[in-house]
Amino acid sequence: MESSTDGRIRLTILGGFLGSGKTTWLRHQLHRGLLRDAAVIVNEAAERPVDDVLLAQAAKLSVLAGGCACCSGRDELIRLLRAFCDERLGAGTRLASTRQIVLETSGLADPGPIVDALRSDPVLIHHIVVSEIVVTVDALHGLAQMKREPLSRRQIETADRLIVTKMDEAGHPETQRLLATLAQINPGAIVSGAIMGNPASLPDFTGTAPEPLGDFSPEADAPIIAMRLDLWDSVDWTVFSLWLSALLHARGEDVMRVKGVIRTPAGRLLLQTVRRVVQQPEILPDGDDEAEREDNSVAFIGRGFAAEDLRRSLRLFTGEA
Amino acid sequence: MCANCGFPSAPGHWTEAGAATPADRLRARFRRAERLRAILLPYGLTVHDDGMVPGMTVSTLSGHHEMVADLAELWSVVERMSGRTLDPLDPRFTRPETAQ
Repeated sequence: MESSTDGRIRLTILGGFLGSGKTTWLRHQLHRGLLRDAAVIVNEAAERPVDDVLLAQAAKLSVLAGGCACCSGRDELIRLLRAFCDERLGAGTRLASTRQIVLETSGLADPGPIVDALRSDPVLIHHIVVSEIVVTVDALHGLAQMKREPLSRRQIETADRLIVTKMDEAGHPETQRLLATLAQINPGAIVSGAIMGNPASLPDFTGTAPEPLGDFSPEADAPIIAMRLDLWDSVDWTVFSLWLSALLHARGEDVMRVKGVIRTPAGRLLLQTVRRVVQQPEILPDGDDEAEREDNSVAFIGRGFAAEDLRRSLRLFTGEA
Repeated sequence: MCANCGFPSAPGHWTEAGAATPADRLRARFRRAERLRAILLPYGLTVHDDGMVPGMTVSTLSGHHEMVADLAELWSVVERMSGRTLDPLDPRFTRPETAQ
């Protein structure tokens, strides 16, 4: 795990519905030494912290109990992270080498408002960059939760990486249906399987129909689609960011995620958004040919628009149409 | 902090991340203002950026004007001044040949 190129600490948000296996997965990653240098923050909506006992292997562990980090516990989270940044900058501290923080959210947290809170804090924006949103989905109960709980669906929609847990407890057809449904509501996420935190292979779900999820709102009818917008030569960062800021202002609820690397005079910029929230772009080092081939190709995930509409609109903003 | 308008020297808005040198930044500001003038004209608004004072000025054609710090603020002000949300997915932008 590397630190961000500009010296900011990388923050991984680990979310997922109540009891979906977040702590089990995290504990196993710590056990395997994958997050050895990471500081772990565990947030529990419940007053009584439990998970910290399970996560004793972390380099530094903080517990945020008695409020969910996306709502009532948000100020406390900001305070904790600021204290962490202060401590890290102090001379000779144990934390000086810490390059990564893992925030395990409560099962009731929506990752969106947490990213929002970090982005709008004038201190943390200089010290912390959200690198990945990992969401666990229970193979056994995931489908039922998605049907019943808007929150569960929001968590899945905002994820960069989905981990289907408890694969051994669910039957084969159920897992296939869950995977087909996940592919429908968040087609852009990387999906992997786990049993007690150990990687498990996923069954092929080709041809499996996704579960009809029903609606929470009239707009939820439209499917969420992932698309790519390849920027052409005359689109520079100034016009692209102008256009995207207008798009997010008008359609922030529908444009759930935008992610891509864009070449600018300042270097290769990594751009990431979660609904209306735009993370301060990171300057990436020049990569090899393989990595740079993906530059200037931006992924959009959302509902109610098509890739062609985005292209036409952007063309008009650049003044070509 | 600018002595004229009091805008804090906060970390730049994300839309301003693409320019590293002062010359690039100035070029980007002028390009941004030029594109904004073309886009906002049908909404009865215009934008002025002199490249020195932070932010931009948005004006109605009748002369009412407001200063904005960055693009996030600009779109809200455009909405208020014109009474419409500027939606890039509006047919005006996606189907310019058919839109009124």
